[in-house]
Amino acid sequence: MAAWDLSVIVEDLGPDAAPITISVASDLHIGGVILKLVEKLQIQRDWSDHALWWEQKQRWLLKTAWTLEKWEVHADARLVFMPQHKPVKLGLPNGIILKLRACFSNPVFQTVMGICRMLGIRHPEELSLLRPVEEKKKKKDKDLSEDIYDLTEVPLSSVSRPCLYNGMPPHFADSDKLEAVYKMLSVTQPPPAPEVIAKQYRPASVVDKAHINGRWLDSSRCLMQQGIKGNDRLWLRFKFFSFYDIDSKYDVVRVTQLYEQARWAILLEDIDCTEEEMMLFGALQYHISKVSQSEPQMLCSNAALDDLETALQSLEVKMEGESSSASELLKTMTAPDLNDYLKIFRPKRLTLKGYKQYWFKFQDTSISYFKSKEESIGEPIQQINLKGCEVAPDVNVAAQKFLIKLLIPAPEGMNEVYLRCDNEQQYAEWMAACRLASKGKSLADSTFQSEIDSIRSFLAMQKTNGSQGNAAASDESINPHSLVSPRYHKKYKPKQLTPRILDAYQNVNQLSLTDALMRFLQIWQALPDFGLSYVVVRFKGSRKDEVLGIAPNRLIRIDLGVGDVVKTWRYNNMKQWNVNWDIKQVAIEFEGNVNIAFSCLTADCKIVHEYIGGYIFMSTRSREKSEVLNEELFHKLTGGHEAL
Amino acid sequence: MEDIDAMFSDLLGEMDLLTQSLGQETGPAADLPSSTKEVNFSTDYADWNASLNELEDKDLDDLMSDLMADLNATEEKLAAEIRGLEAPTPPPPDLPPPPNGQSVQAAAASPSPASLASAFPPPSSTTSPPPAPPSHSAKPSKEDLEAQVKAEKIKLALEKLKEAKVKKLVVKVLMNDGSSKTLMVDERQTVREVLDNLFEKTHCDCNVDWSLCETSHELQLERTFEDHENLVEPLSAWTRDSENQVLFQERGEKYEVFKNPQNFYLWKKDKKALKEIKDKDKEILIKENFCGSSIIVPDLESVLHLREDGKKSWKQRLFQLRASGIYYVPKGKTKSSRDLVCFVQFDNVNVYYGKDFKTKYKAPTDFCFVLKHPQIQKESQYIKYLCCDDAWTMNLWVTAIRIAKYGSLLYENFQTAQKKAVVNSAWTNRSTPSSSNPSTPSPTVKAKAQSQANGHAPKPPPGPVSQDFGHLPPPPPPPPALNDPLPPPPPDPVFPPPPPPLAAKSSPKAVGRQQHLQGNFPPPPPEMNNLPPPPPPEESPPDFLPPPPPMNFLPHPPPPTSFGGMDQSLPPPPPDPEFLPPPPPAPHVTGGGGPPAPPPPPPPPPAPVPPLQAALRPTGSAKKMPPAPPKRTTPVQGGGGGGGVDLMSELRNAMQKKRSNQ
Repeated sequence: MAAWDLSVIVEDLGPDAAPITISVASDLHIGGVILKLVEKLQIQRDWSDHALWWEQKQRWLLKTAWTLEKWEVHADARLVFMPQHKPVKLGLPNGIILKLRACFSNPVFQTVMGICRMLGIRHPEELSLLRPVEEKKKKKDKDLSEDIYDLTEVPLSSVSRPCLYNGMPPHFADSDKLEAVYKMLSVTQPPPAPEVIAKQYRPASVVDKAHINGRWLDSSRCLMQQGIKGNDRLWLRFKFFSFYDIDSKYDVVRVTQLYEQARWAILLEDIDCTEEEMMLFGALQYHISKVSQSEPQMLCSNAALDDLETALQSLEVKMEGESSSASELLKTMTAPDLNDYLKIFRPKRLTLKGYKQYWFKFQDTSISYFKSKEESIGEPIQQINLKGCEVAPDVNVAAQKFLIKLLIPAPEGMNEVYLRCDNEQQYAEWMAACRLASKGKSLADSTFQSEIDSIRSFLAMQKTNGSQGNAAASDESINPHSLVSPRYHKKYKPKQLTPRILDAYQNVNQLSLTDALMRFLQIWQALPDFGLSYVVVRFKGSRKDEVLGIAPNRLIRIDLGVGDVVKTWRYNNMKQWNVNWDIKQVAIEFEGNVNIAFSCLTADCKIVHEYIGGYIFMSTRSREKSEVLNEELFHKLTGGHEAL
Repeated sequence: MEDIDAMFSDLLGEMDLLTQSLGQETGPAADLPSSTKEVNFSTDYADWNASLNELEDKDLDDLMSDLMADLNATEEKLAAEIRGLEAPTPPPPDLPPPPNGQSVQAAAASPSPASLASAFPPPSSTTSPPPAPPSHSAKPSKEDLEAQVKAEKIKLALEKLKEAKVKKLVVKVLMNDGSSKTLMVDERQTVREVLDNLFEKTHCDCNVDWSLCETSHELQLERTFEDHENLVEPLSAWTRDSENQVLFQERGEKYEVFKNPQNFYLWKKDKKALKEIKDKDKEILIKENFCGSSIIVPDLESVLHLREDGKKSWKQRLFQLRASGIYYVPKGKTKSSRDLVCFVQFDNVNVYYGKDFKTKYKAPTDFCFVLKHPQIQKESQYIKYLCCDDAWTMNLWVTAIRIAKYGSLLYENFQTAQKKAVVNSAWTNRSTPSSSNPSTPSPTVKAKAQSQANGHAPKPPPGPVSQDFGHLPPPPPPPPALNDPLPPPPPDPVFPPPPPPLAAKSSPKAVGRQQHLQGNFPPPPPEMNNLPPPPPPEESPPDFLPPPPPMNFLPHPPPPTSFGGMDQSLPPPPPDPEFLPPPPPAPHVTGGGGPPAPPPPPPPPPAPVPPLQAALRPTGSAKKMPPAPPKRTTPVQGGGGGGGVDLMSELRNAMQKKRSNQ
């Protein structure tokens, strides 16, 4: 067969280097082409990751056994010889940018699998890549500083199946630098400064929310085919809101990043919630940031988690053993004393007396008060059992106002009682005691001290904010505006917000880090709009734009005029769906002869197709418990015409 | 301590009543329990609020056998413990049943020496025991093994301590057919356990719809308890004079959401489509909403009528349910989440069905539900009244609120109920005949429920017990007395030997009362004698009744030996408990069915130390059963003691008032 000249651009030689020309015949297979090329280059290095990319046809010549003829490559073909894995700047859900090498030659689905394997995230099928929203120019200098997290050095071959070394995937254990990367991945970020939140783009409407979904990369095609180049920026996000089999032992990074994504969704009002819910989210964020600061060792001691139970047990024995005598044992079971002069006011009584001072005594879950300390041996003037009561703070540190508002249930209704404390310390103790008592716990409860501490730290938060405005937050003081969306920045001053968050905080402050993260995720998942990805569409036969919401189990149709859900279709009633790629229309048939069709305006119909197919794929996972990801099925369900 | 006091005074009050009724048997017929009505007694302490109704004899039998079983079990436990701790005590089985001084004991505890003895050890274990075990092990604890042993002992001791504080209530449960069953419920028991208990007593089909419901007479409310709830807590919130009831009923709506989830999660669809839904789709719905990482609350939104605070009008508002609470859309605002106003969150409220609100509150319809703190028992501005257009909407809301409030617990409860339904039905079919004796099954159930408080040992075979009783002179018939006796249980645990009522009072405050009682005691005996005569209405009642006689000095037919001991002890009663060596007497009392009248006599008789050994002896076992009767005797004593106590007179007044009303 006749030989002809094939010119190949070698990327590694630089953009200005001339193409290398080699003499080939049409029956030469790709492997032979590469061999010739490398020989001619005479550069000693590992070329094993390199492959040929055919620019005009936008395809990789990956099947090295195929001949040029079979690939239909002719002399006019512009081939580029380049690595299949290139660095990208990956924006993580926590907002941090991580440089790592991603596969540019396989479908994005596999690229994501590779990334997730490297990051230690299980169930990569739930994530995907997005083109980032263009940012303003200022970014440039920032880029440099953000590159500190770099995983490009990690040899791809070393990334293996999930197994933990020192609590983390083994490839992170090689150097301190890598360990720092793992820490970034697995530990939640501190609450962002309020200005940072305020500066970020916030969708104002459903249509705004729809736009982000036009940015998803096509899972069936590779990065090169989608115009992504080396060192480009990409976002890694959870795309399918159906989180399978979360295991706090193996999913440290996954849960952390999921939390970060959820947190930002809430802070930026990407998902709506009520004020009460926002306060609870705020309280959880506060708690999570506090706990993750105080137990960073958790990172490395993960391996010891297995033995946690044993450890706890021995601790228990140890503690109990310390009280060696019977009397001591009894002592530990009796509550610390709490009695003091406080002022009481009962608004419901129509007396105008205002606050009156008495000697108060805390016993079990009750408070009793006496005329004076001297008379505290006798019968109290009154004894109030706080079990089941509601406790609310009314505190203004600047004004030295420390009020505990109690709403005490009685057969006749709720009785309001206010207790006024003189100072912070007194307030923290009595507040803590009231909180415990309302839950039916006495002062002997082990959480008493930590309750006091957390109340004090909240007071500190109010103090700093009150005096210095938005001063940089130290460890102890977090600006409450960092915990809620900008809407509430306008609505409440930090010191107004503090008691509200504190109020919600009392229900979560005993959670472990993992439990707090899980609680956050659960509340997020319980929001009515959770899991909805929006696309602006036009239904067949309709003249106006409407929004299609895609959820893990259903599709909803939202009327933009009314803002209401007008129709819901569940996947399990779906008989089939088709995409007409030419007219970009999705047609779905449901049981009962229900047919719908729509064209997609803010996203490619492939994205919608992939969403629907993807969710159906997600729902098949629970049945087959196998660890192996059924990639083929995913492509079948989401590939569209590429899969054929 | 206070609890004990309260219990005892309660008992005394009851005894008072009993004696009165006995004395005037021919007189005011009205005295007899207004049999059909429920009477709730509560002591001064709300937590002791035991709602006892006039028990039917059969009820009493059931209760007694339960109690006996409990006693045996506890005794066994104690014995085991004792063995473990130190002396080579006799085998547990031999031990007399009445170790723990609980109300039960009062009934069951036999005056027999054996029982006394047994009682003694337990008390010590309860009060001082906790500390003791630790110290024992503490010294050697240098090695892991020892440390472990020690840890276990400490645990045991702690448990004992806790146990001592366990509250128990006697609960009368109304059946569908208008009859009732009386149960003793321990505060650690869940509704599920109580239901299981009732299943065994009633031989119903055990399907998942069977529920315990609470009705509030005053507020015209009712709700089904959730299976995971503890029964005692909500009942403790009832006021003393409350006419609330506990019903045992089939309530289809309880788990309807798991049978037809589409009605709740797809409620917007047209009804016809919902009916045709496939089972597979139902499963998917349940899986989606209850088996995911988060429980999904039905997406509810409807216009409901809200009763305005303090006004008689009802105002319409658009309400939305979210996992975090109920919200409404303020006038002129959109339905977006950020504009919603929180109406109520579920942490501190329960949801109730309102009954007949059209009449009571002029509600637009009778399909009303209410949200209130469980402790609120009377009309209050803190109660939220909502009214729906139809029953369907009401059920939707009530169920969805329960899902929001209880989350996955609800589904777990359902799964447990379902399992129980299958197992139980199979089991009852097979063993119905044997299970006919209510006493046997119930004890076992209880054992499970209250692992420690109530022994598992169903040792006292119901059969033998009843026989013994048969021999005994007919115990005093008055049912009311029975009601009261129940309360006592809690006290015992705390004070090892909660001596009879007297002992209980032994606490400093009570001393005065004790004396009174003692003073009164003398009279009781005569009465006691009289008591036997009251013919026991039924055979079964004898269980309870018989005991009293023994207390009274009647010779126990079955346990002659033990009786002897009893007799000896009896003499002592006259002496004031104070003078007596406190510890020993106390145990006796408890053993002897302390709560009731018997206490006085027992204290002196029991030789503190010897009793223990005696108890160990197997002989006591058979006789233990008789002790139960003391209650009857108690009435007599109560009459004496009661006079001195305000509480008692208060109680009596309340009772009389009630009766007169009837």
